Amino acid sequence: MAKFEEVGPRSPITESTRVDLVHPRARLGVTIRAIVAIVIVAIMLFPVIWLSLTTIKTRPDSVAVPPKFIPYFPDGFLSDWCMVPQLNKDGTPKLDKEGQPVLKERPICFDVTLEGIVGLFFERRTLTPAQMKQYMDDPNLDWADRILLKRGLLITGPGEFVNRFRNSLIIAGTSTVLAVTFGLLAAYAFSRWDISGKKDFLFFILSTRMLPPVVVTIPIFLMYRQLGIYDTHIGMILLYTVFNLSLSVWLLKGFLDEIPREYEEAALVDGYSRLQAFRKVVLPQAATGIAATTVFCLIFAWNEYAFSLMLTSDIARTAPPSIASTQGAGGFEWAIIATASMLFLIPVVVITFALRQHLLRGVTFGAIRQ
Amino acid sequence: MTATTLQAEKVAQRHHVRRISDKTIQTAFILPTMVLLILWNIFPLFYSLYLSFTEYSVIAGAPPKWIGFENYRNILSSPLIWKYFALTGRFALLSVGLQTIIGFAMAMIVRAKFRGSGFITTLILIPMMLSPVVVGKFWAMIYNPTFGPLNYLLGMPPPRGPDWLANPQFALWAVVLVDVWMWSPFVMLLCLSGLKAIPEYLYEAAAIDRASAWFQFWRITLPQVAPLLMIAILFRTIEAFKQFDVVMGLTGGGPGDATELVAVNLYRIAFLGRFDTGIASAFAYIVLIIIISISNLYIRYLNQLRGEA
Amino acid sequence: MSKKLHVLVVLALLVGLVGAFAQPAAAQQPVKELTILWAEWDPATYLAELMKDYEKEAGVKVTVKQEPWGSFLDVVSKEWAAKGTAFDLVVGDSQWLGQAASEGHYVELTDFLTETGLKDTVTEATLKYYAEYPTGSGRYWAFPTEGDANGMAYRKDLFEDPDEMAAFKEKYGYDLGVPKTWAELMDIAKFFTRPDENLYGVAIYTQKDYDAITMGFQNVMWGFGGEWADENNDPRGAINNEGAVQALEFYRELWTCCAPPGSSNIFFPEVNNYFISGQVAMGMNYFAFFPALANPATNPYAESTGYFAMPAGPTGERFAALGGQGMSINAYLPPERIEAAKGLIKWFGREDVQAKWAQLGGYTCNKKVLASPEFLEVAPFNAAFAESMEMVKDFWNVPVYAQLLEVAQRELHTYVVGGEGTAKETLDRIAEEHYKILSAAGLIKEATQ
Repeated sequence: MAKFEEVGPRSPITESTRVDLVHPRARLGVTIRAIVAIVIVAIMLFPVIWLSLTTIKTRPDSVAVPPKFIPYFPDGFLSDWCMVPQLNKDGTPKLDKEGQPVLKERPICFDVTLEGIVGLFFERRTLTPAQMKQYMDDPNLDWADRILLKRGLLITGPGEFVNRFRNSLIIAGTSTVLAVTFGLLAAYAFSRWDISGKKDFLFFILSTRMLPPVVVTIPIFLMYRQLGIYDTHIGMILLYTVFNLSLSVWLLKGFLDEIPREYEEAALVDGYSRLQAFRKVVLPQAATGIAATTVFCLIFAWNEYAFSLMLTSDIARTAPPSIASTQGAGGFEWAIIATASMLFLIPVVVITFALRQHLLRGVTFGAIRQ
Repeated sequence: MTATTLQAEKVAQRHHVRRISDKTIQTAFILPTMVLLILWNIFPLFYSLYLSFTEYSVIAGAPPKWIGFENYRNILSSPLIWKYFALTGRFALLSVGLQTIIGFAMAMIVRAKFRGSGFITTLILIPMMLSPVVVGKFWAMIYNPTFGPLNYLLGMPPPRGPDWLANPQFALWAVVLVDVWMWSPFVMLLCLSGLKAIPEYLYEAAAIDRASAWFQFWRITLPQVAPLLMIAILFRTIEAFKQFDVVMGLTGGGPGDATELVAVNLYRIAFLGRFDTGIASAFAYIVLIIIISISNLYIRYLNQLRGEA
Repeated sequence: MSKKLHVLVVLALLVGLVGAFAQPAAAQQPVKELTILWAEWDPATYLAELMKDYEKEAGVKVTVKQEPWGSFLDVVSKEWAAKGTAFDLVVGDSQWLGQAASEGHYVELTDFLTETGLKDTVTEATLKYYAEYPTGSGRYWAFPTEGDANGMAYRKDLFEDPDEMAAFKEKYGYDLGVPKTWAELMDIAKFFTRPDENLYGVAIYTQKDYDAITMGFQNVMWGFGGEWADENNDPRGAINNEGAVQALEFYRELWTCCAPPGSSNIFFPEVNNYFISGQVAMGMNYFAFFPALANPATNPYAESTGYFAMPAGPTGERFAALGGQGMSINAYLPPERIEAAKGLIKWFGREDVQAKWAQLGGYTCNKKVLASPEFLEVAPFNAAFAESMEMVKDFWNVPVYAQLLEVAQRELHTYVVGGEGTAKETLDRIAEEHYKILSAAGLIKEATQ
């Protein structure tokens, strides 16, 4: 029994013993795959790269024709390449009145600005050019003020983003934990026992995801009003939990079905209780499934838009409803939208990377499958 | 305390816990899920079912007026709705089809272990982590034929490049492309889990038998991945019928109604100033019935696959 | 298991019932804070700034809550649906008036505006369009807050370039300048459409979502003699009359010949984007969005951007589509909060406050402030704005406006952008469907003959 615990299925086989994989041709295959994979990454990430470039663009630069790809800092990084000295007709460098060479920006380059990043964290309002001059002389400006003033914006107070980001963390985080926990328990029961009406139950669970959310938002809104959980964290947490349960149960059942029952049966014979077998034998094996489900549930809850818009107003409002439509005077603030999107991406990416080992390990003990 | 007493205690503990019967565990495991699902779904479902038989707008003071099946009749007799359903069917087929092929292909490529393969795989997952509303808006910018980067990268600077979202022939493909970009990673990750679960000895046996790569793929890889792949397809199909935020950001259903998916039209009826709650509810139930029938077919096939495995 | 299901259903219903009766009673206390809901844009920030003065003067803290434009109506509507009190005042779109007034979402302000004299401080057009329902009834539901209309921005550097002027004169036989008629605007737009230089004539509204393409088309339609309906509210023969058909053909031609690529689904932010990126010679937009074009920090062409009011159609008349909002009081508030909200409006309507409002950047509707030289000069587009406000007209504001709008949006977009059918067919369909909607709502008066 002790032996079982030490070298049990928790240490998966990670090294392949297949002879056909060490053959030079197979090695070449792996290299080609690696190259193709990198190309795929480049294509998949291009829009994300475009998004991150937009975070440091001014508003005119973000919609410039032709589009601008290369950031530079004035008198710094890449500025030598981006600022092209203008030539006279005879080929000598053009000089301005003070004898300095006249430089012209390449159309593909843009000057890095922090206005999007700063703007995200403050409430701001547009100034007229006259007002702008007036404020420029104010000695009490800090660095954030100065960055936005250059854009003709005045900081009028702290922004809402931090608050909403925190709400997103609390709501999406908690609901993911709940959805995965409950989903795992239910999936285990459905996977291991022949429960009467199992198929109907499972279909019911799935069908809860089928109704277009547009239609249920209003009834749920009315229900939440009555229950007094409108615009509360708990209301949103439970809602997202429910929202994700169908995915969680179905996915985890898919994974648990792959785990041979022999393991638990062996453990039960060894004197483990059902719960212990579940905890010590099944859980470690289901790590991949749990990791994948966690990531998916988190992504759904994290980016959910319609319910958050309809079921919250201030206290529990998450970030997505405001990210996409940040508008200043007469237009989208692309840099702010991009910054918010990129910052909002970080927690999910971090968690995905943290779970990477489990996520990609696969269910690795197929060797004893029947 | 000696090791033996510890051991004995452990066993005793186990026996104590073991008294909980499997039946109790079953109930305890399923109960939280069922309670939550029922509590949260029963009222919205029945309430909107009721509303679907009424003439009602949530923002009107007047209470719902029972009109029987009139909403259903009106919707089902409108030629536009069938056009939108056909369009949605095409969208779902194209989009889920491509996601399956591309997702699976990507999984096949990154399943090989090479340095940084885990890192690369995780990077591929990033598109689906973005907020759909932002994705719609930014892709509209990327597609823009003058200030968007896509046409430049394709070597078609203005005025040569096509206006992807304004052209009725391209618009649906443009929407499909974004959906595929965003959700292929979802399919890939699930396929990858399936792939990694394939026992090595199957391939070893095949290698010894000098089976062709083609044979290995059809006889070993695909059947082993199928269960998880089918779940991925199922969920993507359901989502395809509910897809509206990305489309809203990209085309708003246009040009004309080239990308007016069912969910987009439903949103237009249920919100956007109209708030025809009664009609929207009836419409939603029609959509629900269609999704349920499609899912049912899928699941039967899924169970068949399971039965064989 | 089915027994368990029954138990659960009963349980669910019980929880619902308990929740329904457990509503906490609102505590009675003097109103120390008020909430105004508005869309997320600069005027709302100006309003928030202005309201700091109210806190100083009256000791009432006013929060201006901003919802993104895309979800503003959804958020307001959900409150209406629940008869909620999440906001005390709302600065709502002019089109909502009919619905909000007849469904009782707004407090009627007729007596209040008359007694306080506020009614006479604002221009007639704004009172009519932002406050009155039904039109001509003399019943008011809002206090005109932010005036707005469609106008045009143009690139003076292009229009005033001597070479361009000479070339234009040679080609069209008259001087290049601010267009006086839609026909001239078309000429100018065609003249400046040069795909090789990445320059296009004009950016116009085409978006299908909510009301954009209808708003854009109206500017042209009225000038050509089209109307949404005749005096009996009958759309047949009005919206599909000859003038309207010509106007729609004109709008489509303008879009096909001279709009920049990628503008098949655009509204105000996108029009400004095209302008800022130097791709268009002219751009249609609401005046409220012109500050971004006048600001050198957001528009590289700010110094050489001019503004004009909509040109005249063949009828010789000029019209501009109305934007803008009035401030209304949520009807579901307890009486003491309604009084507090009225106090706020009373203060806001004061002439000095309105002057401050205009100075901050708000588009006041106050007659005196609008006519003051300070106002006309404070921003480069204010003269064109004052001119436009004299020629505004609006879409329907009846309770079924949203259904009417949905038909118009769908049909207009399908013809203008989708290029399906003819202008006549499109407008005939709109007339038919509008007739059905209006007669079902009992809004069509019997013909007098």
